[in-house]
Amino acid sequence: MNEKEIKFIGKITAGVTHEVNNVLASIREISGLMTDILSITDEESFSRKEKFQISLQKIQNQVQRGIKLTCQLNKFSHLSDTNKSDVDLNEIIEHLIFLTERFARIKNITLQNRPSTQSITITSDPFLLQMSLFNGISYLLNRMDNGGEISISPGKKGSECSVSISCMGEGADKSKLFKDIASSEELLSLRSIMQSLNGTYELDELNAAIIIKISSKN
Amino acid sequence: MYELENIRVLIVDDEEELAATIAERLEIRGIQTQTASDGDSALSLIKTHPPDVVVLDLMMPGIGGLGILKQINLLEKKIPVILLTGYASKERNIEGMNLGAVDYVLKPCQLDDLISKIQEAAKSK
Repeated sequence: MNEKEIKFIGKITAGVTHEVNNVLASIREISGLMTDILSITDEESFSRKEKFQISLQKIQNQVQRGIKLTCQLNKFSHLSDTNKSDVDLNEIIEHLIFLTERFARIKNITLQNRPSTQSITITSDPFLLQMSLFNGISYLLNRMDNGGEISISPGKKGSECSVSISCMGEGADKSKLFKDIASSEELLSLRSIMQSLNGTYELDELNAAIIIKISSKN
Repeated sequence: MYELENIRVLIVDDEEELAATIAERLEIRGIQTQTASDGDSALSLIKTHPPDVVVLDLMMPGIGGLGILKQINLLEKKIPVILLTGYASKERNIEGMNLGAVDYVLKPCQLDDLISKIQEAAKSK
């Protein structure tokens, strides 16, 4: 995908999430108004008051869930606003895990964020960086059986930053993980992205990990 | 804290249903409200029935929230403005605060949070 196409998708997604946010805001206020009206209605004039209050609370909870999702999707859409900015690795990993944990949950796999204790900021293309991490996670997810964990942890040595994406647990059979590296679409894509980012990646078969390496200054 | 019953708020948002519902919820709590869905009607209401506080959506068609804020700033009587913003408008939030808005709330807002900011804004008049 070229830069213009990425920006087009980002812009459309940003616009739609803004509209969805307005819809959610309206639902929240309307259900809030119903809750307000119920709170000034006595039990005698409305026998099912409590059931309605519980249902309204459930609507509010789902709205809250929707707000969180659209907020993260909106944030994602703005990754393509610029092809070079300061990126906090802890933050971008947390964001990506939120957006992709559903893919893991289907296979009963947990995405575990293991953030660095210190903030690691690199100057890079935020969209491509997140896409590279997604490819690493997808590679392992697609080769794991059900169950287990994929952990993502950033690190820094001198000016070189790294993100280790490793798997463990019942679904992580090391003998299967790196069998088809030559034909893997995820690794092919990862290689091309890392070239654009002036970075590299390594496969660590012993630790069932993919390590993405990139300089903090690009 | 300012008594809620003494505060008159103008809510300006092109999402008319949202503005009307927020207004109704504020009225249940005793706050007097008016609503407007565009810049012209907002400025006309401000001139004929000046509110104590304006709650103003930033992302609006026409002159937009910032345009309305600039017009409010030109009025002789100073009226505190609270910005109602979506997450996509960070730069506009900053610009709005630089233009003299007293505060902002993120949409969808927590009503209690909005009310306490309205009280603070009314007190600052």
